[in-house]
Amino acid sequence: MGGQPLYLEPRLESRLRSLADSPELLHRLTDALGSPLNMVVPDQLADNLQQFRSVYGSHHLSGQVFFAHKANRSSALLRRLAATDAGVDVASLGELQHALGAGFTPDRITATGPKNPEFLWLAARTSVTVSLDTRGELDQLATLVRKHALPRTRVLLRLSGFEASGVRVLSRRSRFGTAVGESTALLETVERHGDVVDLVGVAYHMDTTSLTEKATALEGCLRVLEECRSRGLRPRAVDIGGGFGVNYLADGGQWERYTTELTEAVLGIRPPLTYGGHGYGLRNESGTLRGALGLYPAHRPIAGARYLDELLAHPAASLGGRPLAALLLDHLYDLHIEPGRALLDQCGLTLTKVLEVRDQETDGPLAVRLAAKADDVALEDHGVLMDPVVVPRDGADADRAEPVAVHLFGSRCLESDLITRRTVFLPRRPVPGDLLAFANTAGYCMDFHATRAQHQPAARKAAVWQEGDRWRWCLDDQYWPTTPVGGAQ
Amino acid sequence: MRYDSITEAIGNTPLVRIDPAVHGLSHIDLYAKLELLNPFGSVKDRAAWNMARPRLAAAPERGGQVVELSSGNTAKALAVLAGMHGRTFKSVTNRMRIPEIKDLLLLLGAEIEELPGQSECLDPTATDDPLTQFHRTLSEPGSTYLHTDQYFNPRNTEAHFTGTGPEIVKDLDGRSPDWFIACVGTAGSSTGVARALREHDPAVRVVGLVAAKSDFIPGIRTIDEAHEVGLFDPGTYDTIESVSADEAIEGMLTLNRRCGILAGPTGGAAFFGALRQLRAADEELTERQSAVFIVCDRVESYLSYVRQRRPDLFGRPRRGNSPADLSDAEIRTAPALGVADAQAWITTGEPLVVDLRSPYAYAALHIDGSVNIVDELFEELLHGGLPFSRTRPVLLACPVGEKSARYAALLTRMGHPGVRSLTGGIIAWRDAGAPLVRD
Repeated sequence: MGGQPLYLEPRLESRLRSLADSPELLHRLTDALGSPLNMVVPDQLADNLQQFRSVYGSHHLSGQVFFAHKANRSSALLRRLAATDAGVDVASLGELQHALGAGFTPDRITATGPKNPEFLWLAARTSVTVSLDTRGELDQLATLVRKHALPRTRVLLRLSGFEASGVRVLSRRSRFGTAVGESTALLETVERHGDVVDLVGVAYHMDTTSLTEKATALEGCLRVLEECRSRGLRPRAVDIGGGFGVNYLADGGQWERYTTELTEAVLGIRPPLTYGGHGYGLRNESGTLRGALGLYPAHRPIAGARYLDELLAHPAASLGGRPLAALLLDHLYDLHIEPGRALLDQCGLTLTKVLEVRDQETDGPLAVRLAAKADDVALEDHGVLMDPVVVPRDGADADRAEPVAVHLFGSRCLESDLITRRTVFLPRRPVPGDLLAFANTAGYCMDFHATRAQHQPAARKAAVWQEGDRWRWCLDDQYWPTTPVGGAQ
Repeated sequence: MRYDSITEAIGNTPLVRIDPAVHGLSHIDLYAKLELLNPFGSVKDRAAWNMARPRLAAAPERGGQVVELSSGNTAKALAVLAGMHGRTFKSVTNRMRIPEIKDLLLLLGAEIEELPGQSECLDPTATDDPLTQFHRTLSEPGSTYLHTDQYFNPRNTEAHFTGTGPEIVKDLDGRSPDWFIACVGTAGSSTGVARALREHDPAVRVVGLVAAKSDFIPGIRTIDEAHEVGLFDPGTYDTIESVSADEAIEGMLTLNRRCGILAGPTGGAAFFGALRQLRAADEELTERQSAVFIVCDRVESYLSYVRQRRPDLFGRPRRGNSPADLSDAEIRTAPALGVADAQAWITTGEPLVVDLRSPYAYAALHIDGSVNIVDELFEELLHGGLPFSRTRPVLLACPVGEKSARYAALLTRMGHPGVRSLTGGIIAWRDAGAPLVRD
């Protein structure tokens, strides 16, 4: 396998660390509920919310933190959040019903994304705030409200296509939102429907890790809000979406070393690091590296609440250089955010059982087959490279452990059913019956892609929480905020 | 020295010996090749001119825009050269992190397109990454772009093979130095100079310097990024070392302060990397050797870069009447009024209402009759003393009453008897339903 093992150890905060260190519990649960098994940690979600709230506090900002529901369909997580002061951002009829059923009152729900008439009707019927992408959607909503005699509906206008002055920032096209250059026509439509809609403010969502692009968008929103005010509208809020990121890895050095070696593997300087020489978007063109590394920047010191803090401290170049937070505050605007992944940081893990460990060529990686499909552990689909934690069936002798390189295969009869295309290094050789625990999967990497095709089971889900130094659990849909106190087991 | 065109002033830069008292090497003479003295300010003037010259001359009637993927010095040189030849210049980049350079390029008439950041929700099937689109645009039939292609263009290397390298040999009386140390950006200068020096003496040892992976040093690539450069060949270098941003700034300060060489951080990185390499070699030596490193550009463009990393270097003496001098107790007990009392006071006491928010926010909505002095400006004013008469009562307002409390405490300390802070600020005012106007 050549050289030192290239570990990419997951960042485990105290709750996930404690779970991963509870082999008896994990084996008992997978024995009972099968492999794969998803575990969610609702209390962590409440803690993460507090971190975002403290950023609001330090900038004296008010406004709502909306959890982006699509990141995980767990009921336990949603119900735990309902017991806090957070909101939820729903993107489908089903998610809206789920949120209402979990205890969210309409003032804490925002409906976004592509909407069908039923979704729009239920949103307007229950008086949740609706984030609209286009003039057409606004017309559709207004017609619906009038026709069905629904209450006046609060709306946000989602904008896109922001331009920085001086420097043109190329952005990926987004199919969501109205180009900021067409906002005048949009505002005229709002005025025309003034009898049935109230404008709460404007919104944007940008799929980028770049702070400066988001800062540009926020400045653009402030300008549109100013236009709203000059028209006599009374907007109060800017919704800046999410995309604050998660830091998945414990050690930045491992990440740097891994990506360098991956580059060298693609260039043929060192042996391959992937199944079939896959380059994650990189390719070798006569000795020069081409393409772009299609991976999530898995080690990110500035992610989640810290990212929000940096964004808010960013100076608004086109508005006198004051920090964005100061401008929001000066203008008396509420700040709304919609983090999905970042709110679910450290909120879950996916357990898979080892079915088979097979030697391939001499000194080559072992073939490890897991009782799970690639879509059950969607880290790879999101470009997140992170090692699983080996949870031995029997107390293993850690001192005599030798590192091994493995390829992780899924249980589906497709060549493409690889849990990860990467050669994974484990600190010891797994044996059938061991568990591999994929940490920090709750945000998008848990059930976002899972299917029941080929009659293979999708993972069940259990909620876990700590009482004293003991872990307790129940099935995900049995969890209510009253459960931990009641001690149902 | 009389020239017909500024382009004739490109090249023939001095080779300056670094005082041994500064570098402390006993057997090695260390020289700096001062590329910062090129007319547009950097080593990139040579490559830019060499790459653009034949093509600018070839099609004078066809117009066309000069384009390059450049975050700095190459863009600067090409912007000037394009302008001199009646063309425009566009830089496409994802690395332009130095605001001064961005502004300078805009001043020179360049268009800048910045590539967006990485996607947060990865789509492995995406085909619209901006770099691919850029290359697609360039290769469209009938395109009139003049793409200098610095990362792949052999004329980049050639400029140094025929210019920079031979100049060093000439200034060392026809000999190659024993050591050559260069930072790796496009790899053009290091590769071209190394080739020229080795033609004279194959024994010359070439040290390539890259930026530490988690760091950012303008003009230098990390080792992974170097592999993306067509001109980069690891075989050119006897060793490749990495330098951190802190080390680059340390080296820069020594060059700036002790050698009178106003180098930027890249030159600093070269100096730091050179010394680290040579110190070890120096101890083994008995005969004299020589070493050359390249100072590729000037410090002035990097002040914000340095300020961000080393704010201590910009420390100024503390000034009087600063809100930073206040104790928590003073701020807590600052005279303040709630919204209802403030409204009553405005009617009866006619205080001057000072709104400390930004002018944009003030213009949108404010308390009727108030004046706007943005907090930063207000702080400046206070350094000089009380900005209003002691006989005029003052009500200070900010968004949530936090800043106004500090200034109310400070003004009280400065002897103003009638100053109050609006508790809860303009937000409390609004939430209480008190009137706000735009006029």
